[in-house]
Amino acid sequence: MNIIVCIKRVPLTQEVDLEVDERGTDIRKDALAYVINDWDNYAIEEAVRLQEEFGGTVTAVCVGHEDDEEVLRRALAMGADRAIRVEPGNRELDGFVVSRILAKTLRDLEYDLILTGVQSDDHNAGMVGIMLAEELGLCHAAVVTGVEPRGDEALIRVELEGGVDEVSRIRLPALLTIQTGINEPRYVSIMGIRKARKKELSVINVEDMGLSEEDLTPQTVVEEVSLPPETEGAEMIEGDPSAVAGRIIQIIRERGVNI
Amino acid sequence: MLMLHPAYQTYMGVPGLVFAWAIFLAGLSLFSFLIYRRWLPIRSGAADPRFDSWWKRLCGLFTYGILQKRQPRYLWAGVIHIMIFWGFLILGLRSIDLVTQGLGIPILRPLMETRFGPLYSTLRDLFELIVLGACVWAILRRALIRPERYRGSHQFEAYLVLGLISFLMLTDMLYEGSAFLIDRPEQMPWLPASELGALVLQGSDHGFLTVAHTAGYWLHIVAFFFFLNFLPLGKHFHIITALPNLFFRRLSRGSIKPARWDVKDMDDLDRIGVENIGDFTWKHILDFYTCTECGRCSDNCPANAIGRPLSPKTLTIKLRDHCFETVPLLGLKQGEPGEDEPESMVGEIISGDEIWSCTTCGACEEECPVFIEYIDKIVDMRRHLIETSQNPKTFNQVLMHVEKTGNPFGKPPSKRADWIEETGAGPVRILKKGDRTDVLFFVDGYGSYDPAAQSMARSIVAGFHAAGVDFAILGPLERDSGHQVRRMGEEGLFQLLIEENMETLSQISFQRIVTCDPHAFNTLKNDYPGTLPVMHYTEFFAELVENHSLRPQGPLDGEDVYTYHDPCYLGRHNGIYRAPRKILRSIPGLKLVEMERSQDRSFCCGGGDVMLWHEIEQEEMRMAEVRIQMAREAGANNIITACPFCFIHFEDAIKTGGLEDEMRVVDLMGLVVST
Repeated sequence: MNIIVCIKRVPLTQEVDLEVDERGTDIRKDALAYVINDWDNYAIEEAVRLQEEFGGTVTAVCVGHEDDEEVLRRALAMGADRAIRVEPGNRELDGFVVSRILAKTLRDLEYDLILTGVQSDDHNAGMVGIMLAEELGLCHAAVVTGVEPRGDEALIRVELEGGVDEVSRIRLPALLTIQTGINEPRYVSIMGIRKARKKELSVINVEDMGLSEEDLTPQTVVEEVSLPPETEGAEMIEGDPSAVAGRIIQIIRERGVNI
Repeated sequence: MLMLHPAYQTYMGVPGLVFAWAIFLAGLSLFSFLIYRRWLPIRSGAADPRFDSWWKRLCGLFTYGILQKRQPRYLWAGVIHIMIFWGFLILGLRSIDLVTQGLGIPILRPLMETRFGPLYSTLRDLFELIVLGACVWAILRRALIRPERYRGSHQFEAYLVLGLISFLMLTDMLYEGSAFLIDRPEQMPWLPASELGALVLQGSDHGFLTVAHTAGYWLHIVAFFFFLNFLPLGKHFHIITALPNLFFRRLSRGSIKPARWDVKDMDDLDRIGVENIGDFTWKHILDFYTCTECGRCSDNCPANAIGRPLSPKTLTIKLRDHCFETVPLLGLKQGEPGEDEPESMVGEIISGDEIWSCTTCGACEEECPVFIEYIDKIVDMRRHLIETSQNPKTFNQVLMHVEKTGNPFGKPPSKRADWIEETGAGPVRILKKGDRTDVLFFVDGYGSYDPAAQSMARSIVAGFHAAGVDFAILGPLERDSGHQVRRMGEEGLFQLLIEENMETLSQISFQRIVTCDPHAFNTLKNDYPGTLPVMHYTEFFAELVENHSLRPQGPLDGEDVYTYHDPCYLGRHNGIYRAPRKILRSIPGLKLVEMERSQDRSFCCGGGDVMLWHEIEQEEMRMAEVRIQMAREAGANNIITACPFCFIHFEDAIKTGGLEDEMRVVDLMGLVVST
């Protein structure tokens, strides 16, 4: 079973006081640490597990700059066989452009499954996977929490609203966007990542791919980025634990919850 | 009447010398073979440089080997052991004498015919009785008192060997005692054991005495060679390996061994850590051979005490058994351990939970009479688990955070100095590249970001201000020291942290580094390359107290009783016991009591690495709860510590134990500055 995983590197934003940049259309990223997008980490793990069970190859693909190769190395260390980075140069990227670039990159590769994360930590749009499937004409499913290949099909579990699970069959090849929690991603050590340098990592320049100007033109324009306004209404409850608990119960009752 | 030496008699027409030589050659050949088989795993063990500092090693050999300094830490067991050990040293000469007499080459006769001879005979006899008495005592102790620490040890072997030693003593007494009765020399020294033998045989006829004399000799010789060949088979191998093991003992403290001693660049290694028995260093294999199964390690192990699945003794026994199975005495396997093993060592023989249960507190190593090492082995096995992604999943994020942000919380480096404002500690100078300072205060991750540890950092700052010290911190330039990371087995990440911190330190001019956390202190001092001028704050302030730059003022009311808990990485791993107590004694009116387990027998609080992020399910009670109980038993209602992790664990234990009204955990520096 040959699997392609599309991954991305995102800023680590927890615990950080984000600031909007001068242009007002993005956040300041210069002082942020970058990590693998959490959903993509689960997608790589799932691909590697499927490969360990059913054989085949795992290819990790990333549209990004040289710094972003770090997440490809991590994927290689986790067990991917090879990696491809598509260098976008200075082009502005949105979900649409990335999905078109990926589609072009993957079109001539052999695969039974394409995995992406459900969404990325930074923009949370959740578009790339689905648009990529559409562009490649593949069956697809989103928010997948379980994959079991069965011949030329796969049994998949999808998370629906309200915690309901839906199990269905999907024809291969297919594209699945992977939800966190589908597995427990393995730790890869620093030495593991360093050793993965020996594995193949090829770089393609987007300009050499023969994509049309339309494919490379973003379809979304960010007008403004702002921090949510600070709202009032926080109440600090003080006192000994039993008094605090009493006050919390009182508030819950006041808001109409029967307990 | 003339008495013929048993070896010069003939037996069914065959001269005794033939038997003596046969026993000698058979015994020695078998022994050489056994030692050769046992040598194989050592030969193929990983490199371990232990051939430096000969003088220091010899001194240690004398102190811990000949004088048995650690034995009396368990008083009566120690006394028994010392008596038997010294008996062995003295009676060894006797055995050589008896064997060589039999071979017809009595090399010791010239010596025994000098004035030394009678003196030695008396000493020999005295020690035969002492050893015999010690063996009987040891047998009774095992059978009647049944110390808990022997549980899981090879009891039968212990009894067998004690019996065998007694047998050796008795046969010599029989041999000498019968000789007395047959032909009593006119002039002879005081020989109490021989006299006792004679007393027992008194009244026997000549024929019986001759038989007793002959039998005494041969039985002694046969028992001696049986004993010799029995040693390499089990825990009594220590009789042969203990002294070498002491000589090759670890001389450095606090540090963790590199991934491999013989490979500088980890990139050149295919595998990191210990997976199979053959991955251990030769010295660690020697450790397995040397374990006496006395159980002192496990008796002091805090993980063992609270029901975690770790017993250092059992760990060693299992690994030794596995080593013996991997390279058996007989069989076709030719000495290359690690090849086609039926059972994987890490994971099956030694479980992950066993490996993660250790807090690296060092109580086991401090206690072991023969200096068996545990922490390096455990960290080496952890390295294997980390490199093969078999670590507890809770570590993933922690390690990723350390890699990306330089602290385990994933907090941005830019906020690393925010504690100054948050705790109102200021003013604190934050260094930039090229700056200079007298004291560089290394705050580390917890001191920078964790509220409880932040307050400790603030107290240290208050101390600096009070004593007028020129100090500064690295702030956003600082990355975690990596103490935790290294002991969790993530060596690659640790090397990365060293590189980054050393790079920063090289760009700043400072006289010395002072740390808040004993762990950071330990790793900067013992794990980092070169010799950084690093001190823990207790050492630094103890100096200031001594030269009166810092004077705790306001006397305490004397109502509270305090006890000081020695943090493992300040005490055991670095031998700093006096400095914190010196500071405490300078506080007027402070009532200080000692816990039963203090100083080098301090009981770990739960530790500053693995335990923060991983829980071992089997544990019955938290270490900190046990420690709080110990403090209460000492009559204290305040437990003082000088380590942020101890503080956090104790605070937690007091809360979960509902002891807020009875116990309080106090940070040492906090107490000083509050006065």
